Parts: sequence; structure tokens; C-alpha cells
Amino acid sequence: MKYMELAKLIDTTKCTACRGCQIACKQWNEMPGLKTKQLGSYQNPPDLQWNTWTLIRFQEYVNKQGKFSWLFRKDGCMHCTDAACMKVCPSGALHHTEFGTVGIKSHLCIGCKECMAACPFDIPRYNDKTDKVYKCDLCVTRLREGQQPACVKSCITGAITIGGKETMIKKAYARAKELGGDANVYGDKFVGGTHVLYVLNEKPEVYDELPKYPTVPFSIVLWKDVLKPFSLLAAGGVLAGSFLHYIIHGPKTPDEDTATKKGGGE
Amino acid sequence: MKKGLIQATDWYERLVHWMLAISCLVLCFTGLGMMFKSFNFIANMMGGLVVTKYIHNFTGLFFGVALFLAIKMWWHEAGVFEMPEDMEWMNAAGGYLWHVDKVPAVGKYNPGQKMFFLAVAIFGAIMVVTGIVMWFPLRFPTELVRWLFVLHALGFAVIFPLFFVHLYMGTIGSPGSAPAMFTGWVTRAWLKKQHHKWLKEMERKGKLVVSGEEKKV
Amino acid sequence: MEITRRGFLTLTGAVGSGITLSSLGINLIPTKAYAEELNKMNRIKIAKQTTTICCYCSCGCGLICSVDKQTGKIFNIEGDAEHPINEGALCAKGSGFFQMTEANEHRLRKVLYRAPGGTKWEEKDWEWALPRMARLIKDTRDKNFIKTNAKGEVVNRCEAIGHYGSSNVDNEECWLITVMSRTLGLVYIDHQARVCHSPSVGALAESFGRGSMTNHYVDMKNADVILIMGSNMAENHPMGFRWVTKAKERGAKVIHVDPRYTRTSACSDYHVPLRSGTDIAFLGGMINYIIENKKYFNEWVLNYTHASFIAGKDYYFKDGLFSGYDAQKRKYNKDTWVFDKDGRGIPQRDMTLQHPRCVFRLMKEHYSRYTLDKVSSITGVSKENLLKVYEIYSSTGVPDKAGTECYALGWTQHTVGVENIRAMTIVQMLLGNVGIAGGGINAMRGEPNVQGSTDQAILYHILPGYMKQPSASLDTLEKYLTKYTPVSKDPQSANYYQNYPKFFISLLKSFFDDKATKENEFGYNWLPKIDDGKHYSTMHMFDKMYEGKIKGFFCIGADNAVSSPNTGKVRKGLEKLDWLIGENIFDNETYQFWRAPGVDPKKIKTEVFLLPASASMEKEGSISNSGRMVQWKQKACDGPDQCIPVGEITIKIMRAVKELYAKEGGVHAEPILNIYWDYLDRNDCYDALKVAKQMNGRFLKDTVIEDKSKGTKTEFKKGQCVPGFGNLQADGSTCSGNWVHCGSFTADGFNNMAKRGKDDPTGLGLYPNWSWVWPVNRRILYNRASCDVNGKPWDPKRNILEWKGDKWVGDVPDGPWPPMADKEKGKYPFIMQRDGLGAFFGPGMADGPFPEHYEPLEGPLAKNPMSGQLINPAIEIFSSDLDKVARASEEFPYVCTTYSCTEHWCSGALTRWQSWLLEAQPEQYIEIADVLAKEKGIKNGQRVKVSSVRGTVTAVAMVTQRLKPFTIEGKTVHQVGMPFNYGWLFPKNTKDDSANFLTPTVGDANTFCPEYKAFMVNVTKL
Repeated sequence: MKYMELAKLIDTTKCTACRGCQIACKQWNEMPGLKTKQLGSYQNPPDLQWNTWTLIRFQEYVNKQGKFSWLFRKDGCMHCTDAACMKVCPSGALHHTEFGTVGIKSHLCIGCKECMAACPFDIPRYNDKTDKVYKCDLCVTRLREGQQPACVKSCITGAITIGGKETMIKKAYARAKELGGDANVYGDKFVGGTHVLYVLNEKPEVYDELPKYPTVPFSIVLWKDVLKPFSLLAAGGVLAGSFLHYIIHGPKTPDEDTATKKGGGE
Repeated sequence: MKKGLIQATDWYERLVHWMLAISCLVLCFTGLGMMFKSFNFIANMMGGLVVTKYIHNFTGLFFGVALFLAIKMWWHEAGVFEMPEDMEWMNAAGGYLWHVDKVPAVGKYNPGQKMFFLAVAIFGAIMVVTGIVMWFPLRFPTELVRWLFVLHALGFAVIFPLFFVHLYMGTIGSPGSAPAMFTGWVTRAWLKKQHHKWLKEMERKGKLVVSGEEKKV
Repeated sequence: MEITRRGFLTLTGAVGSGITLSSLGINLIPTKAYAEELNKMNRIKIAKQTTTICCYCSCGCGLICSVDKQTGKIFNIEGDAEHPINEGALCAKGSGFFQMTEANEHRLRKVLYRAPGGTKWEEKDWEWALPRMARLIKDTRDKNFIKTNAKGEVVNRCEAIGHYGSSNVDNEECWLITVMSRTLGLVYIDHQARVCHSPSVGALAESFGRGSMTNHYVDMKNADVILIMGSNMAENHPMGFRWVTKAKERGAKVIHVDPRYTRTSACSDYHVPLRSGTDIAFLGGMINYIIENKKYFNEWVLNYTHASFIAGKDYYFKDGLFSGYDAQKRKYNKDTWVFDKDGRGIPQRDMTLQHPRCVFRLMKEHYSRYTLDKVSSITGVSKENLLKVYEIYSSTGVPDKAGTECYALGWTQHTVGVENIRAMTIVQMLLGNVGIAGGGINAMRGEPNVQGSTDQAILYHILPGYMKQPSASLDTLEKYLTKYTPVSKDPQSANYYQNYPKFFISLLKSFFDDKATKENEFGYNWLPKIDDGKHYSTMHMFDKMYEGKIKGFFCIGADNAVSSPNTGKVRKGLEKLDWLIGENIFDNETYQFWRAPGVDPKKIKTEVFLLPASASMEKEGSISNSGRMVQWKQKACDGPDQCIPVGEITIKIMRAVKELYAKEGGVHAEPILNIYWDYLDRNDCYDALKVAKQMNGRFLKDTVIEDKSKGTKTEFKKGQCVPGFGNLQADGSTCSGNWVHCGSFTADGFNNMAKRGKDDPTGLGLYPNWSWVWPVNRRILYNRASCDVNGKPWDPKRNILEWKGDKWVGDVPDGPWPPMADKEKGKYPFIMQRDGLGAFFGPGMADGPFPEHYEPLEGPLAKNPMSGQLINPAIEIFSSDLDKVARASEEFPYVCTTYSCTEHWCSGALTRWQSWLLEAQPEQYIEIADVLAKEKGIKNGQRVKVSSVRGTVTAVAMVTQRLKPFTIEGKTVHQVGMPFNYGWLFPKNTKDDSANFLTPTVGDANTFCPEYKAFMVNVTKL
């Protein structure tokens, strides 16, 4: 059986920030719209939320040459290969699907929120009423029916596209080359390669909330890849050691003759 | 009760010990059930992972209270090393690991026990603090939370193996020890072997309580 | 490989076939393994699926509704992947379509009534409401009916009832509304088209012969240069921008000229900011550049326009005024705006273009005044930017390049709205960009069916199919037809409007059927007449309402209390009504005007009926997008509870009124008693197809049509649909509710509007078999101008039409006649123009035959740099106490513009009630340049006060680098802008109210489109 590894490509240079994707995601996943305030930006909700799995970020930017541009970036789960969230998930709610994406089985989520701290992109969000965490699952139920994810389908300019991972990486690089300047591809080179790729017009560090060199956090690696196995080994070692001690050295038993000595009053 | 047994612990000590011990065990096993996907069956035995999470979190609070009482109670006895005797004992590994002709006499708690107490006190406190932060991670900076995961795991990596040492030493590794924490009464022989100095101290201070004997005024 | 859009959710039901999936390399996972996760997908697979068309901006995107067969309710709505315009994609509003269904708790479900002095709604039902409304309508009409006017002319009209709306209902419903309001004798009939694209109709008809978008959205992909000016396309016509993006992918250049740097600018190659209200100066400079630098397409100009016509010797232009101006009346006498004619009565021509009074020379002279310096000083655009745009755009003045212009309300909503557009038509004709693929003038209309509602003429000045509204001096049918049937002596001018009588009489027959006979002039005098030279537009209506002269008001699918200009005056007007009948899917500020902030309901005696209407996907019918595509929608499900379609409400109200007149008699009862009104089915429910066929037209008796040129005779039976307007007759044997719709059905009654042919033989995006386009499925208007005089395409790469031997091959030719090189049978390409040619000189305009820069009614300057005329000399000035103006005032120093955003639509009366959209744009904001904010100490995100001389609102300050101050005539002028999508009623506890408290009651000189886009305000901290 052969599964195809997919990647979703977001060409931010074609995005008009129409928010069709932001709302198509809510429509498909039956997420509500909640009360927000106008904070002086088109970006709303101001951040990803449990009910907002993808968000268009708006950023006014002036480059070194003084040229102004308004940068739009569709934020959401990057679907990493080395997924820090999966590493920490106690229940296996976060898992890799056959497409390479990181799926989330809500019924298994226990709301421990470890994935929220672990994620290098700060993506999962918590709902205190359901006590669960939510994020984009790349519409895996749609993919299984050969359908595009809701955001991809809704995209007016074709800024969001999806296909075989290798194809999309090639497409991304070709586009970055066509754009020239500081245009670059983001996603294929870290955390084992993400299944969401960006074509960015500016260097990654220019963009709000986009880590320059995202990695699975060292602390998480230490915890999961070092301490966890060590703790079991140590416990096992002690058990084994105790057994060996018992049979080799023997326990420390009290001396028999002192047991009869009368105590007290001396 | 057999006559001639000596009281090693009073009801309060035992109560606090078991509060601490049981909650610690519950924490370890619920923790294990959540820490490894392959151990999820433990959680399922308790009614599922979500239930396990709640048991773990609230037991942690209980553990925190018990730990506080335990530290308060035992600090000056088990938390303070007396030199140079404790060092000599440690150099001889208390006679547990190889044959030693004469092991220095031990007070109420031997250095091994003191080290265990300190480990539980320090790492236990760390577990409680990191545990609370892990319970409400959204209120703290992400980088801090990540490192507290590490500390929490480290605490477990220390306490869990040491617990098995404690379990061994409290049962088959030192026959006669167990009653100290169950009935509270131990044999004189055991006291003389394990905590000779304490026995002498109690006799000298007139604090020795022997079953079957009236307490002297 | 890339996964392209799947046609999964299509009607074919070909779902998940093994072939298609495995071709993607995806293995078919046994569904049972994931059963618990596939709920929505599983439901979709077994659901009923219907198509519908989006009910927002007029791009006309296709959607698919999935209906649960058990519950009959819609549970999913997404894009139709097979639709050629959107191909499955949807913007924010379209994506959120589901929140318009009954799943939205705010949907109106019951008939609501507010009694005089009442403080809240009472629930009623249709049985109660219909007789009550009919009673009110009849009493108000009879009491206030005007049989003759002050001059003694018979007018048969009722001025005491006004009607507004709607561009949001289907064509068939619009037509019913028009028929009902005309037969009731109303003259204050208007709707959103007035405040949206009424100038387009005026301008484009003057230049080309028809008032609509010449090309269409998909066609934009064929352009080499796209000028987006007077539009914020990526935000307000997002799907249109899809095709701009495709053009860009082919190497096209996109220029965005707009006071603000918007989401459109971010995706364009160049953003050129200009002061709001100075577009004519900008375009005047471009015309000057094109002429001076000889960038025009000479052959095209000579042959396809009237550049060579010679104007009368008494025509002149001096210091901002054209010949014939009467300053008292603020009107022009146009007697001097004529052409010299030869002995045959055909306009004289100088093909060398040297004659000092030839149109070309007059135009050259007129625009020579628009020098770079002048233009830069007026508009605030740097000379560098001006030259850049002029150079790039004028590079399309060659046969193998196409330039298109896309505009919307940024051009129409000005006192010079019509002339803004006229200026661009001049540019396009100079460059030969009309009639070609990737060219034309793309007038992007703002509402889903505003093209349709304009075609069906819910407007005071026209009747369906752009027939003219009769005026009082035309007391006989003959006088009327003589006036409006143009006569051309030029044998090469098709002058298609010479068939006017056929269209008009067929129209009357559709109103009155066999009651309209030759003897009674087909019912001509039953219709109301407007007074000559007087106007009854929205602003006029609210002016009269404010005076207390209007007693009853229909507000259908609209929210005037938020969207009409100078809303303080509008709301005071509403308070004086005796009754208001509203029809909508949500409640809004207009229907609850009686408890608006500051209003005491106990003092308001208006009876208000709020009738629950079915939403767009809950009824069958057609809507026309901006590209004239008349798309048939299917009905997904019934509306909830008491909801019925607006068409049904209209039919039943009129039926109830008719019954009252039949029983009691009344004033001028003939049109009401004689109306043909059989549009319900056997179950007493709305039958859209019946109406659609009436609009298309039917043969009223067995008829034989002879085509002499082809030598054919075709027989038609009584009742058959008329298959094309060439078959309409002036003898009463045909009826047609709207001649431009003729051909939407075949003679056998096949509905062309529902076609889903996906073939595109030219590859240029014509899709000739997808739906139906008026007129007669012609996709690009004036397409014979895409060929030379011999019928060979100017650009073989953009071949939409070609004369091959003895016929045209490609798109439906704009006029079947041979190319004009054939002196005997050939015709000029602009067949709806009397002279058959594109018009630079427009004598039909109220404010002058050439566009000229005038300052907005309320602007920053005290003197017009171009001339002694500060403001448009032909605009009507309203003078009630609430019509104040503050020109060049220190108290209101900032130029303000109003607009919409992607997430909200018009007044927000639909979108504010939808939580997904409201979440994305929750509150009213005002965009202020960072330098201005700093000056005033205003912080980003802080609520501020925005005031004009007419009113005040608050908004959240959005401090941005996207606005920069302009240097106008040497001084710094700031531009600010705010959306008009917010009102006090919803969301609850909002601090917002309509931005239209700030705007003035003034509009374009020709069509009264309000000047929402340029007025003066102040912004201060609260």
C-alpha cells in the first residue's frame, strides 16, 4: 500500500488577505465566531484561538530601501515531520496521518496542554469549556475523499495549493526564484521538513510570530528522549539491583541474641 | 502485641508517612499512565486518561500538603547530617554493600535514609511546583514551562528509582523494619542492629516506650 | 503532482470513484476504519445537492448547498468547483454563506408588526398582515393620488408612497416589484443601483450605447495592463481579482490608483495614491498624454468613433462652463451641443481630423489644459507617478496589446460620477481597447443582482429593458415613441434602438396582457408619468419624506438608515411615515428606526410591518452578475417558518390590493384591475419560471416570422417563448417583460440560464454554454470592434470573433451584419448608438459633453485650479435645514471617503448578523495616517470622534502607514477613510452607528448617485 506524502503550499505573495480561508475553515469544521474588538488592525481574532485554526496576519513593513509593503501571512499548524506536539502528547491524540500531516483526534485529547508549550510555532489552542486543544488537521477527512482542504479550495488567487510534497517543494523554489530579491521558501529545511510550506517575499525574521530557526525545543528532546527512558532504566536498574543485592549480599538482619534482652529501666 | 516491643513511631508519623507514600505512588502510577503511550492501559484501568489527569493533579495537591507536614516533622531529624559519624557511615556504605566489621552506630535515621528524605523533600517540592505550573501552563512563559517539564521529568527519574530502594530497604532488604511504619512497634534487637545510637539515646532520656511496661513517671 | 479542485460536490454525484482517487496516488482507505471521523463527509455523500449563486458582490460565484434529505435542512455550503468564474473558490463572505441559512438564530421567521407608539415587535401572521397592508396602501394611494399636475398635464401618479429595494432579490422578483409599483402609480421608485452604479449606466450608454460592463470577470485574464482605479477590487470584488492574478501570471502589469494603500495595492505592481474626488484631473492628464504623444490607435479611432464628426459652430467651452449654461436653473440648454449634418441628414466628417471643430480637435484642446503640473497639484500625485501610469497604460494603444480598466464605487459615488467614467471611455476608445478580449470597461457592480434590478428598472427614470419612463408632456403613446425612437439616416448605422416601439409595446403587453389593446394605446396612459425635468431618486425621496410628504414606504432588502447619505435627515424622514413595509431576512436599523438612539418610540406613530423573506438559496430564480450573466439558482430548501420569497410577498400584496379595488372601486383603478398577475402555482406559491418566461416574452397568438435576409419563415405557436428580441412585434402580438432577457428561453421553453456547459473553444474564457448572458448570449459587447473594417481580428492571439466568408465565427457578434468595409450591408460596430459609433463627445450628459474636473461639493479647496467653476455646475443642491455644507473649512480639514471591506457588505445588514464575519471585522474603524495621528495624539486602537458639519459618529482609530498626506495646491491635505458597514442595532451594545451621518445629500448631476467618497471631516479624541 502506497500513501502519498502531501504538502500545502502558501504563496504569501499571491494572498489578498480576503479571509476566505479563515472562514471556510470555520464553516467546514463547524467552529463558532466569537466576540472580538477592533484593536486597530484588520487582523481579527488577534491570534489563533480554539475556534480559529487558521488566521491571516497583517503586518505593515518598510524595508531597508524604504519601500512599504503590507505583508499577509496565513498562520496555522505547520504539520511538522519532527512534531514536538506529537512527542509530548500523552494520549496519542496528536498523530501522523498517512499523508504526513499531524492529525488530532479530539476524543483522545485530555487537555493537558503540553503540546501548547512544546510547539515551536505556538499553534495549538485550548478551550476551557471542553477541556481540549484544537488546531488545523489539514482537513484529513476531505483528503481521504480526494477533496482539497477547505482553505485550499476557497483560495481565490491560488495562493494556497496542495499536492505531492516533492512537487510542491519544486513549485515553491521555482516561485521564489521567479520573485527574486529576498524571496525564499520556508518549511522544508527544519523539524524534518514541514508539510506546510511558505513562499515568503521577505526573510523569515521579518514576519511577526514566525520563528527564524524553529526546532523541536531542546528541553522537549531532553525530556522525552533522555529523561523518560532514563527514569525507566533507573527504576528497572534499582529493581534488578535490589534483587541482586538480596541474593548476593543478603539483607541486614537483626542479631538474635539481643532479642531477649530486657529493655528499660537500666 | 508481644511484650518487650519498643515504639519507634507514633500515630502522627505513620499517618503523615502513609499520606505521603500513598499519594506518591498514585502520582507515580498516574504519571506513568500519561507519560508513556504504552502505559496508557494504566490510565484506562482508572477510568480513562482524563480521569487519570484529574486524579494526578488533585493528588499532587494532597501530596504537597503531606510533604509539607513530613518536612516539618522530620527535618531536624532526617534532614541534618551529623559529622563526622554520618560521613564514616557513608564511606562504609552502611555495611549494606560489602562486609564491614564495624559500622558506626546510627541515630534515628541513617545517612542513607537522610539522603532519601532529602531527595524526596527537594524533588518532591520541585514536583509540586512544576506540577502546578504544568496544570496551568497558559499563565506562564512558554520557555519556562518547557524547562519545568524537564525538571518534572527529572524529579520522577530521581524519585521513582529511589522509591524502589526505599521499598527494598524497608521490607526484605532490612527484615524487621516494616513494622516501624505499620504497627509502630519494633523489636529491641532490630533497634540495636539498625539504630543503636537512637536506642541508647531513648534509654538515656527515659523516652523509651516498651510494650507491656508501665511508663515510668 | 498538484491536487486541483475536484468536482466532488457537483450534481453528477460521481463521488469517490476509484479511478479518480487512485489517479492521485492516494490509496482508498477502507471507510469503516475511519467511520467515526467521516461524519460530515458521509453526510455530504448522501445529501441532496443544489446549486446557487452568491448573494453578495456581483462576481456571481457558484456555490453548492448540501441538504440533509431527512431534515430538509442545509448543513454545508461551499464553492462549486465547476463554475467558470470562481472554480470552487470563495471569499470570506461566500465562505460564510451557511450563516445566512436558518441555522442562524437571528433569521426573521415570523411576520412582525409594530403598532403606532409601540416599543417592541409583535408576532403576527400573513393572514393578519396582508389585508392590513392592502388597506393602508389603498387608502394612502386614493387619498393622495395626483391625476393632473400643476401644468394641467395628466400624470396619474401617487407621490405619497415611496419604494426602495432591492438589488438583493432575483430578477423575477425585481420585475414583479417594478410592475406592481408602476401599476400602483408610484414615481418614487428606487433601489441600491441608484447609490451604486447608476452613473455607469448613464456614462457607458452615452459612449457605447449600452450601460453595462462591456467585458466580464474571467476575460480580465487576457489583459496586458490592468488599471484598477475607482475600485478596491481585491477587497470588494475578490473573485474578480482572481482573474487579475491570472493576468499577472501571464506577465500583465497591474496598477492600483486609490487614495489608500489597500489589500488590492499589496497585490498590484504599482500603487499610486491620489486625493479622493480628482479622478477626472488624473484621466484628463492621461488623455492629454495619449493625444500629445500619439499613443492612440489611429485606425480604430477613425473608423469606430465619431472623432471625425464636426460639432456645431455655436458650441464652446470657457472657464469651466460649456455653451448654454443657465446659472439660475443650474442647467444646460443643449441646443449648441450638436453636430453639423450634410444634405442627407448624416453628420459631416473630416477624416483628416484637422477641422478645428471636429470632435478630435475639440477634445485635444480641452485636455491640453490638463498639464502634468496642474494634474499633480490637484490630485496630489507626483509627476513621476503620473508619467509612469500614463506610459504603461498607453502602451496598450496598439493592435496586439489589451488594456482594461476595472472600477466600482470609487468612481460612481461622486458629483462627477458619470464624467469619471466617461473620461475612461475616452481613454479606452483612443487606445482601441473596446470590444476586445482583455479590454473594455469593467464596471464592477456591487450587489448580487444589481445588474438585474437595473435591467428590471426598479428606478424612477426607466422601465424594464432601459425603456424610458414616460414624462408628463408625452401624453400619447405616439408622442412618446417618436421622442425615444432614434432616427439615423446613415445606412451603415444599425441604430438598433429604432426597434424601440417593438420593445416598449411588448413590455406593456406583459403588464396588462389582453387588456392592453391598440385602442387604449396598450395601457400607456394607465402608467404614472413624471414631470419633465424633475427627479425622484433616493435623495429626492428622502428629502420629501423629511418634509412629511411621503406617507408610506416599502423598504425591501435594504437598510437606508445606514446606507443612505446624510442619515440623520433620512431617519428624521422615516419618523414622519404613516406606515413602513419591510421585507428582509434579518432585522435592521431601518425597520427599527422607531427605537434608534435618541428616539422616543411613544412619539412615533408609524405602523411598521417586517415581513420574513426567504433567503437567496431558499428560492428558485435568476440573478445577473456584473458581466450580464443571468444565472439560474436552484432552491435548496424552504425558508424557515413563515418565510416566503419576496416575489410571493409582492404577488400577494398586490393581489390583496387588487381585490380591494375590485370590491370597492377607487381612484384610477384601471391599471390595478387590468394587471396580468398570474404568477402563483397550484399551491398558491411563487412560481419563478412563470415570471421568467413572461420576462423573456411569449407569442400571444400564432405567428409566422419572416427573415428576408436569410429567406426563412419560422412558425411559432401561441404561448411559445420568443427565442430572441429580433422576433418581437409592435402590433401587440408579442409580450416581453424585458426585451434584453429575450432569448433566455428557447421557443420550446428550455431554460438557457441553467446551462452548465464547460467548454471554452477560444480559450479566452468566453464559456459560451455556461448559463446565458444578455443580450442574446453575447459575452463581450461591441466585439465587432475587435476586428478591422474587413472583419479580421486586430490581434490573432485574442481572436474572439472573425468574419469568415459570409458569417461571423466566435462570440455572438454584436450585430449580425457584415463588417463595415461592406458599404452595402455592413454596419458600424456600436449598434445601439444612433450613429453607430463610439462617442467621445457626449451631448446627452447633464454636466457637459466632455468630462471636466470640478471639486467635490465639499472639498478642501476654495478655488478650482482648473477653472472658475468650483463645483459641478449641473448638480442639484438640496436645501433643507439638515443639508449643510462646509467647504475649505478649518473646522473640518480632512478629506474623508467611505467604503466597504471584504468581510462586510454594504450596510452590514446581512453580514453583521453573521458571527464568522463579525468576528473578523467587529467594529467601525477610521483609517488615519500615522503622521496625522501623531499630530493629534491619537493612538492605534483608541476610539475617536469623527464629525462633519452634518453629524458625528465614533470609530476605532486605525493608525496606519498606508495613508500619506497629499500636497494639494501647495498645502498639506490629509485623507482619511472609514467603512459604512456598521449600525446601532447589532451587535448588541455596539458603540457604532452609520458613517453616513457624515455624508452630504448630493449626487451626480445625471443620475443622483450620492457623493459618499469625498467630503470633509474632523477627527478628535473622545
